[in-house]
Amino acid sequence: MRRIKRGDDQAFREMVDRYNARVYSLSYGVLRNSEDAEEATQDAFLTLYRKIGTFDESKKFFSWFYRVALNAAYSRARRRKPAITVSLEDYVPRFRDDGHAASPEFAAFVEGAEDEAIAKDLAERAEGFIAELPDAYRDVIWMVDVEEMKPADVAETLDISIAALKSRLHRARLFVRQRLLEVAAVAQTGDAERRVAP
Amino acid sequence: MKHDEITCKRLILESLVEYEDGSMPEPDRHELERHLAHCPPCIVFLKSYRATGRTLKMLKPREIPKNLAEAVMSFVRARCDKKE
Repeated sequence: MRRIKRGDDQAFREMVDRYNARVYSLSYGVLRNSEDAEEATQDAFLTLYRKIGTFDESKKFFSWFYRVALNAAYSRARRRKPAITVSLEDYVPRFRDDGHAASPEFAAFVEGAEDEAIAKDLAERAEGFIAELPDAYRDVIWMVDVEEMKPADVAETLDISIAALKSRLHRARLFVRQRLLEVAAVAQTGDAERRVAP
Repeated sequence: MKHDEITCKRLILESLVEYEDGSMPEPDRHELERHLAHCPPCIVFLKSYRATGRTLKMLKPREIPKNLAEAVMSFVRARCDKKE
């Protein structure tokens, strides 16, 4: 860090080598487009180069830099047509008045997810569903479940409490789960119709 | 958390994340597992929740553009005066 602050190009290059893949992947989670994600990655490192002097060395570098990267991606996203986001309340499971579940569900998706080809298809669909989430939820599920970052690191990067992170993560997972269930149900109906078609 | 306080709603909406990430205290975990042992809908839900997690992990590894690091270096060099 200090070497970069002193203008050491080699140190900056080492930083690029170390973080470019993660920054690209975070950017892709926001933008879902390779070209935009690459440009956002470049923006993030440019900001790093220019603003490294403002970094407080008593803090964790990665959480500061990942925030820089997310800001760069969102800045680029704002230039595009606003995305349509969903109301998560519509995807929270429903229960009887006594708080218990009405009936089993979701077996088809579990069976489908065991098959590699179907699981791959579901993963592609899931990426689209994540994009429908409001930003605060999308960042959390992308960083924890896709990037597999430690929840404590994500909470620090996003400057939120662990409790808030868990709440957002759970809501986001419930949404993606429900959307995948819908996809599986449609696929199953299609299969059944094809089977009975003359 | 007492056994008679656990409903499917409470388990699914309030407790699942901590159960899954291992941060739930052992007594609560035990009570929750007692509920699961007698609740097929919650078992099915848990399986689907885990299947969702496995599906999301399949989004990795994402293909990183070749020469991304070089592109970044060129971009930064082009925009920064090296005297900076």
